[in-house]
Amino acid sequence: MYVRALPTTDVNRNTEWFTYPGVWTTYILILFFSWLLVLSVFHCSPGMAWTIVHLAHFTVTYHSFHWKKGTPFGDDQGIYNRLTWWEQIDNGKQLTRNRKFLTVVPIVLYLIASHTTDYQHPMLFLNTLAVFVMVVAKFPHMHKVRIFGINGDQ
Amino acid sequence: MITIPYLTAVSTYFSYGLLFAFGQLRDYSRLIFDWCSTNNLHGYAPICLAHEDFYIRRLYHRIQDCFNRPISSAPDSWVDVIERYSNDNNKTLKRTTKSTRCLNLGSYNYLGFGSFDEYCTPRVIESLKKFSASTCSSRVDAGTTSVHAELEECVAKYVGKPAAIVTGMGFATNSAIIPVLIGKGGLIISDSLNHTSIVNGARGSGATIRVFQHNTPAHLERVLKEQIAEGQPRTHRPWKKIIVVVEGIYSMEGEICQLPEIVSVCKKYKAYVYLDEAHSIGAIGKTGRGVCELLGVDTADVDIMMGTFTKSFGSCGGYIAGSKELIQYLKYHCPAHLYATSISTPSAQQIISAIKVILGEDGSNRGAQKLARIRENSNFFRAELQKMGFEVLGDNDSPVMPIMLYNPAKIPAFSRECLRENVAVVVVGFPATPLLLARARICISASHSREDLIKALKVISKAGDLTGIKYFPAAPKKQEEEKDRIKLD
Repeated sequence: MYVRALPTTDVNRNTEWFTYPGVWTTYILILFFSWLLVLSVFHCSPGMAWTIVHLAHFTVTYHSFHWKKGTPFGDDQGIYNRLTWWEQIDNGKQLTRNRKFLTVVPIVLYLIASHTTDYQHPMLFLNTLAVFVMVVAKFPHMHKVRIFGINGDQ
Repeated sequence: MITIPYLTAVSTYFSYGLLFAFGQLRDYSRLIFDWCSTNNLHGYAPICLAHEDFYIRRLYHRIQDCFNRPISSAPDSWVDVIERYSNDNNKTLKRTTKSTRCLNLGSYNYLGFGSFDEYCTPRVIESLKKFSASTCSSRVDAGTTSVHAELEECVAKYVGKPAAIVTGMGFATNSAIIPVLIGKGGLIISDSLNHTSIVNGARGSGATIRVFQHNTPAHLERVLKEQIAEGQPRTHRPWKKIIVVVEGIYSMEGEICQLPEIVSVCKKYKAYVYLDEAHSIGAIGKTGRGVCELLGVDTADVDIMMGTFTKSFGSCGGYIAGSKELIQYLKYHCPAHLYATSISTPSAQQIISAIKVILGEDGSNRGAQKLARIRENSNFFRAELQKMGFEVLGDNDSPVMPIMLYNPAKIPAFSRECLRENVAVVVVGFPATPLLLARARICISASHSREDLIKALKVISKAGDLTGIKYFPAAPKKQEEEKDRIKLD
């Protein structure tokens, strides 16, 4: 089964890989396989495993999308040094398909995690906090906003 | 048009994710180690930021032995590759004194001028004895010799423009000339897959840069319409100047530019056309005059024609050809002409002699033979590779053919396997290509004989089987034999 890879107009090499086919499927498959991994390593209940996956997903994606700034290449000459990855994708255009997909994934994870743990505390509290922070960080109004100067430039 | 099997795309993302995760883990453990050890450089800023260097340290260095291989002979169709070894897992590589004779599929030696040539080399040696290796001066001071003047005339005549200016370095031709042609208040619309030299020149000029989808004149028209309607950013005044930058052959795809359509779109919207013929001059077209000749575009319609002498002419340096007024203006303003050392005189002589051979002015028909041979070789090689089931990019007649690899692990595997069988190929991955689309780029030369190509095909087929890159079904063998019989007849 073949797909076409059309070259994009995105010049930022840090984000243009996200416009090619197969990324969304890989993302979902990684989440599913990590759930299986957590289940087999920790011998916990499925709900607990989903909570662990949700919180790990929150940590990893918050750090890489909303905390780390700039690009891993020196020859971009620092033009993206003030922008996080989330602010760089799609050239800063808001509400594109990629952004909508990336906003929906933590919400769906939250729903699965809370459903499979039967909405018990303390998992519910942690999950809710995580999804709240994730979704607020992805709002269009939060583009280039640094609350209280956290993660601002020196 | 690149068609990827869906499973390959997913597995490539997985692989890069894994490599990235391991790289981050190693970075964190390095952080912990360094926190424990003492540091005697307090107060000094780091030379490069840790995150900027990440790709080079954690991905590129792991397979460093596939890139930057030193050679110890002229880059002919066979080349001596120096063997290297590493004691610390490819972080540093040490050269040995041994070298292996390998079939050279990586050099841009399109017409075979990369080594001794019976017409060019004696003249170059004579010029070296007469003018010495370097002019030791910029063009305006004492660096213009009679050979330089002859070269500029020769190039202008060859390319089909009234005048030309020659600089000593191909990359610097783009990065030094584009800022002189356009500045703040201008608009540069460049193809999304343009070379770094053009990107550097465009960024250095201060003009606004917009990108259009690779080789798609319809998207170029849309971008032009939008930008002309909007005008300059914030003030919305009309643009001072619009230059559209395209390349003749794109070196990573082997595709030929759709020049007639792009020129007609630019004429309609009154934008200038800048054509970079680094890979196409001397390699395509009936008399080797590049993509304009191949596609039947009048050279008067292309405003600025740029090219380099490194690929088909076996020399160094680059040129810009245009109207007399443009070249006069460049000679007064371009820093590559005013301050940089001029092209060395023996190299200039090599270019003049190479052009004479190509045009047949040396009294033989070797030029026409070379052009016919490179076309034949490219078409034969491409057809055979496609029959074997490889995914090969590029148009017919183009001497550059990338074979798609995709997975990051196949990059070093293919390269090392080919080197083991004495075939030297060039592999490219991210960031020179998009993340998903790593490839092995083959450059065919007029000096490759049929036996060389058949050996290369055998080795590539074996390496391809081992690494699993035959993504398309191979053509059935019976048809192959029939086709061969028809060819021989």
